Amino acid sequence: MKQNFLIPLACGVLLATSATAQTRTVSGRVTDASGSGLPGVTVLERGTTNGTSTGTDGSFTLSVQPGATLVLSSIGFETQNVAVGDRTTVAVSLKSSATELGEAVVVGYGTQSKADLTGSVTQLSSKDVGNQPVQSFEQSIQGRAAGVFIENSSGKLGQGIRVRVRGVSSISGDTQPLYVVDGIPVLADNLSSTSAATNPIADINPNDIESITVLKDASASAIYGSRASNGVVLITTKRGKSGATRFTLGFQTGTSSPTHKREFLNSQEYVTLLTEALVNSGRTAAANTTRLRTYAGGVTDPLTYNTDWQDEVFQNAPFSQYDLSASGGNEKTKFFISGQYSNQNGIIVGNKYERISTRFNVDHKANDRLAIGINAALSRSRNQRLPNDNAFSNPMQIVALAPITPLIDPRTNLLSGSLDPATGEPNTTFPFYYNPLLSIENGSYNTIVYRTLSNVYAQLDIVKGLSYRSELGVDVLNQSEDQFLGRITSRNTGPTNGFGFSARSTNARVVVNNFATYRNTFSEQHSLELTLGTSFESAQLTSNNVTGTQFASDAYKTLANASLITAGGSNRTNNTLVSYFGRANYAFGGKYLVGVSARYDGSSRFGSNNRYGFFPAASLGWLATEEAFLKDNAVLSMLKPRISIGRTGNQGFTNFASRALFAGTSGYVGIPGQRPISLASPDLTWESTTQADAGIEFGLFKDRISGEVDVYEKRTTDLALFGPVPGTTGFTSLFRNIGSLRNRGAEFSLTTRNFVGDFTWTTSFNASRNINRITDLDGPPILGSFLSRAQEGEPLGVFVGPEYAGVDPENGDALYYLNSTNADGTTNRGTTNNINEATSVVVGNPNPKWTGGLTNTFSFKGFDLTATLVGVFGNSIFDGAGQYYSVGFNNGPDNQTRDQLQRWQKRGDITNVPRAEYLGGNGIGLSSRFVRDGSYGRLRTIALGYNLPAAWAQKVFLQSARVFVQGLNLVTFTKYKGWDPEVSTDYLTGSASQSQNNINQGIDFYTAPQPKTYTIGVNIGF
Amino acid sequence: MKKILYGLFTACLLTGSFTACNSKLDVEPTDSIDATNALTTSADVEAALVGCYTGLQNADAYGGNIQLLSDLLADNGEISFVGTFIPPNQAARKQILKDNGFVTSIWTNAYDVINRTNNVLANLDKLDTPAKQARVEGEAKFIRSLLYFDLVRLYARDWNDGNPQTNLGVPLVLSPTTAISGESQVRRNTVAEVYTQILTDLTTAEARLTTANPANNNGFFANRYSVAALLSRVYLQQSKFAESAAAANRVISSGRYSLTSSYAEEFTSSNDLLGNTQEDIFAIQISSQSGANELNTYYSVNRRADVNINDQLIDQFESGDERLDLILIDPDGGPAYSGKYDVLYGNIKLFRLAEMYLNRAEGNFRAGTTAGAAPLDDINTIRERAGLAPLTTLTLDDILKERRLELALEGFRLGDLKRNKESTVDLGNPPVTLPYNSPRLIFPIPLREINANPNLVQNEGY
Repeated sequence: MKQNFLIPLACGVLLATSATAQTRTVSGRVTDASGSGLPGVTVLERGTTNGTSTGTDGSFTLSVQPGATLVLSSIGFETQNVAVGDRTTVAVSLKSSATELGEAVVVGYGTQSKADLTGSVTQLSSKDVGNQPVQSFEQSIQGRAAGVFIENSSGKLGQGIRVRVRGVSSISGDTQPLYVVDGIPVLADNLSSTSAATNPIADINPNDIESITVLKDASASAIYGSRASNGVVLITTKRGKSGATRFTLGFQTGTSSPTHKREFLNSQEYVTLLTEALVNSGRTAAANTTRLRTYAGGVTDPLTYNTDWQDEVFQNAPFSQYDLSASGGNEKTKFFISGQYSNQNGIIVGNKYERISTRFNVDHKANDRLAIGINAALSRSRNQRLPNDNAFSNPMQIVALAPITPLIDPRTNLLSGSLDPATGEPNTTFPFYYNPLLSIENGSYNTIVYRTLSNVYAQLDIVKGLSYRSELGVDVLNQSEDQFLGRITSRNTGPTNGFGFSARSTNARVVVNNFATYRNTFSEQHSLELTLGTSFESAQLTSNNVTGTQFASDAYKTLANASLITAGGSNRTNNTLVSYFGRANYAFGGKYLVGVSARYDGSSRFGSNNRYGFFPAASLGWLATEEAFLKDNAVLSMLKPRISIGRTGNQGFTNFASRALFAGTSGYVGIPGQRPISLASPDLTWESTTQADAGIEFGLFKDRISGEVDVYEKRTTDLALFGPVPGTTGFTSLFRNIGSLRNRGAEFSLTTRNFVGDFTWTTSFNASRNINRITDLDGPPILGSFLSRAQEGEPLGVFVGPEYAGVDPENGDALYYLNSTNADGTTNRGTTNNINEATSVVVGNPNPKWTGGLTNTFSFKGFDLTATLVGVFGNSIFDGAGQYYSVGFNNGPDNQTRDQLQRWQKRGDITNVPRAEYLGGNGIGLSSRFVRDGSYGRLRTIALGYNLPAAWAQKVFLQSARVFVQGLNLVTFTKYKGWDPEVSTDYLTGSASQSQNNINQGIDFYTAPQPKTYTIGVNIGF
Repeated sequence: MKKILYGLFTACLLTGSFTACNSKLDVEPTDSIDATNALTTSADVEAALVGCYTGLQNADAYGGNIQLLSDLLADNGEISFVGTFIPPNQAARKQILKDNGFVTSIWTNAYDVINRTNNVLANLDKLDTPAKQARVEGEAKFIRSLLYFDLVRLYARDWNDGNPQTNLGVPLVLSPTTAISGESQVRRNTVAEVYTQILTDLTTAEARLTTANPANNNGFFANRYSVAALLSRVYLQQSKFAESAAAANRVISSGRYSLTSSYAEEFTSSNDLLGNTQEDIFAIQISSQSGANELNTYYSVNRRADVNINDQLIDQFESGDERLDLILIDPDGGPAYSGKYDVLYGNIKLFRLAEMYLNRAEGNFRAGTTAGAAPLDDINTIRERAGLAPLTTLTLDDILKERRLELALEGFRLGDLKRNKESTVDLGNPPVTLPYNSPRLIFPIPLREINANPNLVQNEGY
C-alpha cells in the first residue's frame, strides 16, 4: 500500500524537474483609503492556491501566470480583483468593509470566491475563533453560524460536544459533521473508555485556525460523498506570509465558576419534610428519631449540622493560557510556527484540562511550477476526568446527601463515609449514599492524548490553468487512560484494596488525495473550473486495557503493583475508503453560475453487494447585480439567488455491522466460551440524504446591510438502523437499511454596519429553524433512556411518556391523564393515579425550534467591544434525576429541591407537588412531571480590548499591543430551574450504542453546569 | 513533452485507486468471527455450551437480579430496599412499570441464552463422540429449562393460579435464530405448554447426563443431580409433591453431597475459591475475572447496603439459631444487614442440598409418603445444622417456616408464596394486602417487547 501513495508524489517531482518557467513576476503595494500600507493582505492568483501576503508596508511580490487576476483580500476590507494584464507592478487601494462577500472561501479540494459560490457555505475567520477560555474551537463559534447548532454536554472539561449542521440526519450512525483540516479528513471518533464521550477535536489549538468553513448544502458538501450528510467543517490553519518575521505573544488568565447553583433543602426544611414523609408512610416516631440520628453523624439533635454539599464540590477554577507564534518568510518559503500551553481547571473539584500544542506549517516554492509544503501539528492534552454523571461517585450526586449529615464525621474526624479507622474496613456509620468526595480524595482518571496531525503536499502547475496536487496526510491519536481508586472508595468499588484500570488506544488514519484542477476563461465570458481526483483512506483503531486490584497500599497506583489482574482485553478494527470525485463550475459573464460535483465512494464497511455509492450534486446561481439593469443600483448592491440539489451519504457506523458474527468473549471463569453476537445484514449500505436548498444572498446600500436566507429540505432514506427486534430471537436489534427521516428548515443571517468611521458598530444576527421528523421507522419506536424515543412521525429524541395531571386534592396522589382513545375516537382526558394505566403520549421535544446568535462589535479609537448573545428556544429538557430529588422523599432519603415544600399536606390543598411519603412511590414514575422548558438566551461571550497606539507600542519596540478582558457565559436567561439549560448528560453520549447516543438528548442527570469565566490578557506583536 | 506529461498525469490519477484499492475494501473482522465459521468442530460446540453458562452468570440472570427481584416482590416487610435504584425499588413497592430496566433485561438476557442453547442443540451432530453428544445435550437442555422455568414463574400466572392450560405463559423458542422474519413474531405459549416442555427437556437431560460429568471442572457444570434438583423444584411449583420428593431423593440418596458443618460456612468461603462446596449441587461461579455477584452489590454492608433486614424477619428465628450469625444486627438500633453475600467474588448458590431436604420433607409430608426419609428427619437435619434442637412433631407450617428461614434472600420467596397461595403486603399507607394471584406480583411483558412484537399479549394490570 505504501508505494501506492508515494508514486503520485514521485510523479509530481518528476514532472516538476522537467517543467519550464512560463510565469511572470508582479509586485505591488496595497494601501487603505488613507494611503497607508496594509500589512497582511492576502494576495491570491485567482483560481489557484498560489498566493502571498503583504509585508509591513503593504508591498508584495508574486509570480503569476500570464493573464492572471489577483484577488486581494483582508479582513475588514472589500475584496478586490485586479487583472494583471501586462503589468509588472500594481497599486491597489482597498475599501474598508464589514462584510466578507468577496472573500476567498475554502471549499472541498480548493477555494472559490464567495461571489462565485452556488452552495450554502458559512465561513468564519480567526477573529471568531480562538483566544477564548474554552478547550475546543466549536465552543467558540456557538451562535456564530446559521444552521450550526453546538451544544456542550456538561461543564466538565474536554467532554464531547454535539455539533449539528441542519439537524440530525441519522439515528444509528454518526451525527457529527466531517472535520477536514488543511484538506485531510481527521479522526473525530470518541475513544473514551467510559460511556461519557471525550472530544478529539480539542486536540486542535483554536489559535492555529485561520478560517473555518461549514459546508451545509449538498452542492457544497457532496464532494465529500459518503460522509457529508451531517455537513462538513473545513479548517484551514494559519500560514506564513512573506516579510519580516513577526512574533505574536498571547497571555490570558482568569477564573471560572458555575453558571448556576440549584436550590436544595437546608437542615431545618429537610428534617421537617422528611419527618412528614416518614409519618405519612406509617413509620413510628422512635424509628424516625433513630433514622435522623443515623443521618446526622450519630448526634441526637438532627439540626446540629447544616451542610451545603454543593459548595463542597464546586470551586472557583483558575485558567491560564500562553501562546507564542512566529510567522514570516520570503517569496520562496513561508512558515508559521506556534506553541501553546493552556491550563484550565474545572468548576468541579478534581477536574482539569491541560494542553500543549505545537504547529509547524511551511510552504515552499521549489521552482515556478512546483510548490511543496507541510502542515504538522503535535499536541499533548491531559484531562483529569470525573466519574460519569450516573456514577455514585459523580461529585454532582453529592446533592443527594442529607444537609443534616456533617462533612466531617464527629465520631472519626474523617470525611463522612470514610473507612472505619479501627479496622480499615467500611462500617455502618456512613451517610445513606456513597460520598463522592471520597473518590475525589483518593481516586483519579487521567486521560493523556498525544496527537500528530500532519500532511505534506506537492502542487504542480502543469500548463496554464492546470495544476495537480497530491496530498498525503497522517493522523495519529495515541491515548492513554489511567484510573486509580484507593481503598477509601471501597464501598463504591468493592473491598478490593484498591482498583486500577489502564487503557491504551491508537487511532491512526492515512489519507492520500490526488487531484487536478483546471481553470480557464474563454472568450472573456466563459469561466470554467474543473476538479478531478481520487482519494484513499485507511484507518486502524487498536486498543488494549487492563484492570487490576489488590494494591499493597494506596501509594501504589499503577497496575504494575496490582497483585490481581482481574480483566484485560484488546481490540483491533480497520476500515478503508476508496473514492473518486469531480467538480465543475461554470460561470457565464460572471453572473450565471452553474456547478456540478460528484463523488463515488467504496467502503469496507458494507457488504460486497452494496459497496459503492454515488453522490452527485448540482447547483445554479445568478449574480443579478451584475446585470446591466441592476449594476449601479443605489439600493441593491448585491443580489444572488441560488438553488442546489444533491445527494450525500453517511457511513459513520461500526465496522463489520453487515455480518453475522460470533465472539469468543463468553468464557466462564477461565473456560473458553463463545456466543452469537449479531445477525447478518448482507444488503447493508449507505444512508443517503437528498438535500435541496434555495438561497438568496443580498447586499443593500453598498453592503452596509448584507445577508443571506436559505431554505432547505434534507431527506434521508435507507436509514442504517439498529432497529428493535423481538428479544425472543436472542437478539434485541438488527442493523439494516430501513426507514427515513427528514430535516427541513430555514436560515437567516444579516450583518449591518450601523456606524462606520471613527466609531464603528457592526451587528451580525443569525437565526435558524430546523424541523426534524422521522418519517418511517418500519417498526416500533426505539426506546432511549428515560422518556427519549425515536418514534415515527416525531423528531428524533422526542420525550414520550405518561402525561402528569397534577395532584388529587382529596388525597395528594399524583395523577396522570389516561389519554386513551374513547370509542368515538376522542381522547379520554380522565385521570388515574396508576401510571401504568396512562397512555404514553408525546410530552416534550429536546430539539430546539429556533437557534440563533447576535453579535455586536463596537470600536472607537483603540477600543473594541464584542458581545455575542446566543439563543436556543422551544426545546424541552428531561430532568432525569427529578425522580430522586424532586419527589418529596417518595423515592428515598435523597435531599430534595426546595420546590418540594409546596407539597400536598391536607385534603383540599391545591398544588402540583404530591403528598410526601417516604418511599411511597407517589409521583416518581417517569412522566411529563419532569419535562422542563429548556429555552435559554445567554451572553455567551463579551470581550473588551484596547489596542495601544502604534506610536506607543513602537517606543517599546513592539508592533502592536492589545490588552483585553473577556467573559464567557456571564448571564443566562432561562426558566429552567436546574443547574444549566445547556445540558446533555455525559454518560449517554459515548455509549457503545450510537443510536442511544443520538436518541438521548436534552437529559439532565446530575450534570455539571457550564462555567462562567472571566479572563484578562494581552496580545503583543513584535 | 506534453504527451508524456499527460500520460504521467493519468497514471498518477489512477495509481493507488482502481488497480490497488478495490481489494483494500475487503477487510476482515479480527475481534470476532463470521457465524458460518463459528460452529464447525466438536470443540466449537462445546465452547458455545460454555457461553450458555456465561449467560446464566449475567447480572440479569442468576448473577443476582432474578433472585433480588423475586424476593423484593414477594416481601411483606421482612426486608426493606433502601437503595436508589429504581427497578428493585418498584419491585419492593409491588408497582412495577412496563419499562422496568431489570424486568426488560431479565427477559432479553434469558432469550439470548436460550438462543445460545438452541444453537448448541442444533449442532449436536458436530460433536465427535456419542458421549459428548449426550452430555452437551443434557447440559443445554438443563440451562434452557432453568430459564424457561423462571421466565414462566416471573412473567405469567402461577401454575396453581387458574387454569394453566389456558393461562398465557411465555413464548417457547426452540430453534436458533438465523434471520428476522415474520416467524420471529412469536406468540405466548400457555403455562402448561411451557411446563410440559421443561419437563420433557429435563427428563431427557437427566437421562443423558452421567453422574460424574467428565467435563466437569470442580462441579462447575450441570450433572444429572443438577437436573434432578431442578425437577424437584419444578414439581414442587406444580404441587406434584410425590414427584418432587422423589426427584429430591435422587439427589440426596446419591451421597455425593453433604451439608457444610455450619450454615455460615456455606456462604463465607474465601474470595476467589472456585468450585462448589460439598453442599452445592449447582452454583454460579464468580471470580475476580468473571462475572459479578450482584447480591453482594445490593445486600452487603460493605457495598451499597441497599437492603435492610427488619425485625419482622429477625424475630422469626429461634434464639440460638446459628443462621442469625449471617444477619448483622446493630446493637444501637440502626439498620441490620444480611451477611450472606459479603464475599465479593462469592459463588451464587442456585441449588444446594438443604433445599433438597426441604423439598423432600414437604413433598413427602404433603403427599403422605416417606421417600428416602421421614419429613421430620429431614427438617431436623436442617435444624441440627443450624444449631437448633430437633422437633418432635411436625406440621406443614413448621416445614414452610424452616424453608423460609433456611432459604431466606436466595430468591425463593415469590415462587413459594404463589404455590402456597399466601399473600403479601404493599406497605404503602394504608397498607394493602395482595393475594398470591395479584397481577401486581407478576412482571409485565417488557414494553420494548410489546412494541417489537404485536403478537405478544400484555399481562393484566399493565
